[in-house]
Amino acid sequence: MELNRRNFISLMVGGVAGLHITPLPWKLTDDIAIWTQNWPWVPVPPAGAFNSSKSVCTLCPGGCGIEVRKVDERAVKIEGRTDFPVNPGGICPIGMGGLQLLYNEDIRFARPMKRVGPRGSGQFADISWKEALGILGERIAGLRKQGNTEAVAAIDGNPSGSAMSLLVERFLKALGSPNYLRTPSMDDTYSLVNLMMQGTEGPMAYDLENSDFVLSFGAGLIEGWGAPGRMINAWGMWRAQETRGKVKIVQVEARASNTASKADQWIAVRPGTDAALALGMAHVIIKEGLYNKDFVGGSTSGFGEWSSFVIRQYSPEQAGALTGCPPEEIRSLARAFAKSKAPVAVCGRGKGTLNGSLYELMCIHSLNALTGGINRMGGVLVTDPHPLSPLPDITYDEVSRQGVQKARLDQAGTPRFPYAQSITSVFARAIREAKESMIDTLLVFGSNPVQTLPDGGLFKRALSNIPFIVSFSAFRDDTSMYADLVLPDHTYLEKMDEVVWPAGLQYPLYSISRPVVKPLYETKNCGDTIIELAKNIGGSVAASFPWKGFEEVLKHRAKGLFDSAKGLVSYKGTAPVWKMMQKEEEITPDYKTFDDLWNKLSKGGFWYRPVHKYGRWDSIFKTATGKFEFVSTRLQLAIQGYLRQNQADPTLAGLGIGSGAQTAAFPHYEEVKAPVDAKAYPFTLVPYEMINLASGSVASPPHLNKTMLDNQLLKEDSFAEINPKTASQLGIKEGDPIFIESPAGRIRVRVSIFEGAMPGCVFVPLGFGRIGWDEFTRGKGANPNDIILPQMDPVSGQPVWWKTPVKITKA
Amino acid sequence: MEKTKKPSLRAWLEGGGFFIAGFIGALVVGWVIFPMVLYSKQPQPMNFNHALHLNPEKVDGIEGKTDAERCLHCHGLYDDGTFKGIPRLSTCMECHDNPESPLGKTPEEKAFMDEYVAKNKEIPWLAYYKQPDCVYFSHIAHIKNGKLECTVCHGDHGKTSALPDYEANLLTGYSKNIWGKRISGLKTNTWDRMKMDDCAECHSKMGHEENNACFVCHK
Repeated sequence: MELNRRNFISLMVGGVAGLHITPLPWKLTDDIAIWTQNWPWVPVPPAGAFNSSKSVCTLCPGGCGIEVRKVDERAVKIEGRTDFPVNPGGICPIGMGGLQLLYNEDIRFARPMKRVGPRGSGQFADISWKEALGILGERIAGLRKQGNTEAVAAIDGNPSGSAMSLLVERFLKALGSPNYLRTPSMDDTYSLVNLMMQGTEGPMAYDLENSDFVLSFGAGLIEGWGAPGRMINAWGMWRAQETRGKVKIVQVEARASNTASKADQWIAVRPGTDAALALGMAHVIIKEGLYNKDFVGGSTSGFGEWSSFVIRQYSPEQAGALTGCPPEEIRSLARAFAKSKAPVAVCGRGKGTLNGSLYELMCIHSLNALTGGINRMGGVLVTDPHPLSPLPDITYDEVSRQGVQKARLDQAGTPRFPYAQSITSVFARAIREAKESMIDTLLVFGSNPVQTLPDGGLFKRALSNIPFIVSFSAFRDDTSMYADLVLPDHTYLEKMDEVVWPAGLQYPLYSISRPVVKPLYETKNCGDTIIELAKNIGGSVAASFPWKGFEEVLKHRAKGLFDSAKGLVSYKGTAPVWKMMQKEEEITPDYKTFDDLWNKLSKGGFWYRPVHKYGRWDSIFKTATGKFEFVSTRLQLAIQGYLRQNQADPTLAGLGIGSGAQTAAFPHYEEVKAPVDAKAYPFTLVPYEMINLASGSVASPPHLNKTMLDNQLLKEDSFAEINPKTASQLGIKEGDPIFIESPAGRIRVRVSIFEGAMPGCVFVPLGFGRIGWDEFTRGKGANPNDIILPQMDPVSGQPVWWKTPVKITKA
Repeated sequence: MEKTKKPSLRAWLEGGGFFIAGFIGALVVGWVIFPMVLYSKQPQPMNFNHALHLNPEKVDGIEGKTDAERCLHCHGLYDDGTFKGIPRLSTCMECHDNPESPLGKTPEEKAFMDEYVAKNKEIPWLAYYKQPDCVYFSHIAHIKNGKLECTVCHGDHGKTSALPDYEANLLTGYSKNIWGKRISGLKTNTWDRMKMDDCAECHSKMGHEENNACFVCHK
């Protein structure tokens, strides 16, 4: 027996033959296949007990109810809640992906940090809370000692009227600074329109579900507008078998958005001319006597003056020339709208979070007034703000009393901007143009101005003149990259916060989000941070913040809800609230004691009032005339005030009004013309929003990148939509890289040829081009805000972001 | 050219011997050594006597008329129907609530009391029957709607007095009970194996072929 070559081969052949009748090859094949499904980096939820926590999503002003599914303490899925009145079970893709914002450590700050690298580099070093609060407290105390308290400014993106925004404003006032700024929001424009025309302070409350004709002026009704869960549900209902054909939806927009392409009718008007279309419709409605005579005759003021102006200046032909919409289309639209039982005109471009134009919204709201849609079922309801308990008065000392009386840097509230709350562009320009910044310390709350302000990077440049910037963001967002100090907030799934009134909702609803998981890191609820900071500063500042923590503030406010002895805190989901409201019956509260109410509310609960008294046109308007004002008394007063101070400017050009003093208090079309050579910049840049791309201060969860098509995001490039005609005129084809350039700068994108894009325009999505966040977000695509000219809407002073003259060149 | 030498008979026999040696060697490797190498063997953190706990004569408080009901007493369902799986310590502590006074006299219970109940520490059980993450399986659909007995899939596990060692496939990480205790993958009882084909076989037999669609389990 010798192991020679031949025998060795025999041994091997025997071995191979033998192996085939053992399980080894077959089992191994199977196991290797399974092994490839179990790479260690494939995330698998841990084993454990399933449970769930209910809360409210605060990622956008929609405030949908969410249910977070957990395995032990690990959150694994976010779903819509069915026991929440706003969104019957649905939520948007951004809300669904929210867990990445919680667990992705590259996206968030784990503990307080101070900057160690150059600004914008994102290099920070850990510090303790004590040290962080000490640094800021001492800086503010130092400024107070010098009597230079106005050198502290805050920019706040928390929803207006929320406890957080009240605390931030209070903190500024208590330490003695008038420079409390808010990032522009649609809420502000809505409130301004209600104040001007109705004298009311409640939000815009669209009774869409009860309407039979929804005329949307650019509102992305199924693309994130209002509470996305509510809107998608409403749309499904309008399109359901039993209501099909009974509800008409018309979309006015320069681009065939998803909403436009699913609407019954799409009316493409030139960007920014929505007001002219509304006036053209008003012309037809007035001239043909289609308006609601009860309402217009009995409950409005200024109709005579305004209507003769509209008859004179906005015939369908004139409006057609401005908007590019055929006059016949305007006529038929106006007739169909006015002849419907419950028509409603809705505004709020895109997701309806970015500000609108005051005059434009007044024009659109006038259509609601003409058809008697104010406080009518299926129209725009006039509501009171929530009966929340107000916070106690602020305690001032000598320093803060003098400080708050100093002039605001942004001139909001002056005769130049009489009804503006804050004007970020004036603020930024003042800092940018001054030799030495008047602002020493900028506090950034719940906002991300570097990314979201449509000002061609003006604010970002102004930051370099501000010596000390403090971010209170939970995330490594674009603005916090410029911060010197970071005092991180919890993410929305770890904290208590409130949604005061879901955007656009037709009935009062107040809800409180609660921690669905214990905070993962050493972060702190921003409300608690402010209170602690105030206590550290001491004196009257501390006295203005008598609470132990933020929860106590919320509890204090909720007391007002209890005292009102109205509303419900549970919802069975048997009947939608808009149906319950039709009965106009008062309801008995379903809570007995305040503790009972607070118990339910503070556990991701809500308080709502499914009761509305429609009509009552004689008592709801709080204007000087007690009526709905087509000619706004408040605007007239503002204009008179301005004229008194600026006699050299009788045309009101300084207010941004081009039509002169005669019509300045009317809802009218005001063209905002950029001071640039139209020949050099022949195209119009129009930003748009997508439901699967977060365009606000918080970026999309990175998973959502995977929902982008190859003509929306390709590797690092985002796309601009251009009409084939415009593209051939420029000699560019699908996928070509181009530069879009305005006087403020240029961005590089690729071309997506789209027949639904209006010729002559270029449509760029908002939400890309971020500089912070993680590797999957940073540097993806371009941000149109970087090249938008900082122009101002007349009177409101808010930015005009919806049209910018640009030129296009091949890259 | 040199003529090739024809092998002798002896050489043929010798070669045949080597062939058989290789053949038998491979069988030994494949059937004996391979399974030993492929699976880990880990004892459970402590013993658990199913037979004892399911005996109402010996244990007070095990409720339920049928075997399945008695199993569900500890391996219960949540309100929403999801299966609780291996009971947590809190379930054990419904009876074994005081570390100072054990309910029996076994040293195992004493160790359990000291190690887990007193320290309020979860027992790190190793699950024999955990399906991979890509598989959706609903217990309630099978035991309530399908009226299956626990034994159909889990055999006599509920009658054992000692927990067997847990064996995990070193390549895949799956428990040996999924592939089946027999390395051949052959089975005689319904509970011998828990692979996809076994699910499908039973579905078909019960007349629920529609449940063999991919997305029923791989959601």
